[in-house]
Amino acid sequence: MRLDEILRSVDTLPAMGGAALQVLALIEDSRASASQIEAALRQDPGITGNLLRLANSAYFGIPARIGSVRQAVSLLGLRRVTQMVVAACAAAVLQRPVEGYDLPAGELWRHSLAVSVAAEGLVGEIGIGAGEEIFTAALLHDVGKVVLGRFVREELARIEAALARGLTFEQAETAALGVDHASVGAELLSRWAIPADIVFAVRWHHDPDRAPASHPMLDVVHVANVLCRMIGIGLGREGLQTEPSISVSRRLGVGTGHLERVASRTLQWANDLAQALAA
Amino acid sequence: MHLTVTVGDMKTGAAGDHIVTHALGSCLGLVVYDPVLKIGGLLHAMLPLSSINPEKAQANPAMFVDTGVPLLFRTLYEQGALKSRLQVKAAGCGAPMGRNEVFKIGERNYTVLKKLLWKNNILLAAEDVGGNHSRTLHFDLETGEVVVAGNGGRRPL
Repeated sequence: MRLDEILRSVDTLPAMGGAALQVLALIEDSRASASQIEAALRQDPGITGNLLRLANSAYFGIPARIGSVRQAVSLLGLRRVTQMVVAACAAAVLQRPVEGYDLPAGELWRHSLAVSVAAEGLVGEIGIGAGEEIFTAALLHDVGKVVLGRFVREELARIEAALARGLTFEQAETAALGVDHASVGAELLSRWAIPADIVFAVRWHHDPDRAPASHPMLDVVHVANVLCRMIGIGLGREGLQTEPSISVSRRLGVGTGHLERVASRTLQWANDLAQALAA
Repeated sequence: MHLTVTVGDMKTGAAGDHIVTHALGSCLGLVVYDPVLKIGGLLHAMLPLSSINPEKAQANPAMFVDTGVPLLFRTLYEQGALKSRLQVKAAGCGAPMGRNEVFKIGERNYTVLKKLLWKNNILLAAEDVGGNHSRTLHFDLETGEVVVAGNGGRRPL
């Protein structure tokens, strides 16, 4: 088992920028203001540029051209803007190619955005409350792959052998490496001071039946992730070797029609958002 | 020319062209070829029925099996293809593991395709459908040869 080595390598991954951490702290602060966000972002013009590009993408549906952080806050609201700051910071990590999973540059990022959009689409389609930070939970759900990819590549033969025994890909990761990408991602995010409900959804997104509690945010990320893989966004080496939980789809009351309606809208929004930050 | 078909997209070409589509999960990949004219096309349809989002189907008929499949055949007929000569091959329509009925979009894609073909007296020459791995399709318009890559191998369809 290579658990120690894998967890040590979590520490070597560059943390999210100081700006992101300051803005994340503001999420929990009901008195946070546009000027506080502006101040936190002033030290990082790159993040500000990415934030404005995302804010202007078609998904958010603002017809006016957003030219400043202040304007973004007044048109989209503080919560949306903090989500986009996290996205703008996470993009640097998620846009890289991910070895082991066979995801070319940009594909994990596109998948992450697609799951965010599909998760918000499912919330609207089913009409449930899943927590306001569902966008961020979905966006970060696979961040552990960035760390685990190198180990997956090195242990591919053992992973393939586990898959041949009928395990899901994430079960095969655990069989070969002692840990799966969901656990590694949760470990990484808890070190980045990400709110606990988001870390929880990331930790159990492949295994909601074994989570210590059920949570709609986790359930929706679980379903949205499988759906985006089915429509070919972020398939990579794993393909569809994952198992959607029957108790989750019952709990959510989600049917094939819901999934298909959300799928029909997801692709374009995900591509719009991904292109907003494409080099 | 090398052409790439993305999800919810369709492209046609002629001898000398090579059409590829990647990452077929639950989506349907359909190849149609007229070996005499050496023309053909490839469709990568995401969902079975356009009624789920008529507005989207209007803008992008290739997204749905029930609008994309007729579009592909019509486009080839307009270029002179003859129904009696057409070679039709299908791939994809996979599903995640387990028994969750809600996620059977791939199976529904395949069912709608079979109904359409049956109504029009068209048989599939070959198929590689179902399962839970990702597939890539390569279509050579010179020879009509279709190769499915995925699950660590490549095999002719």
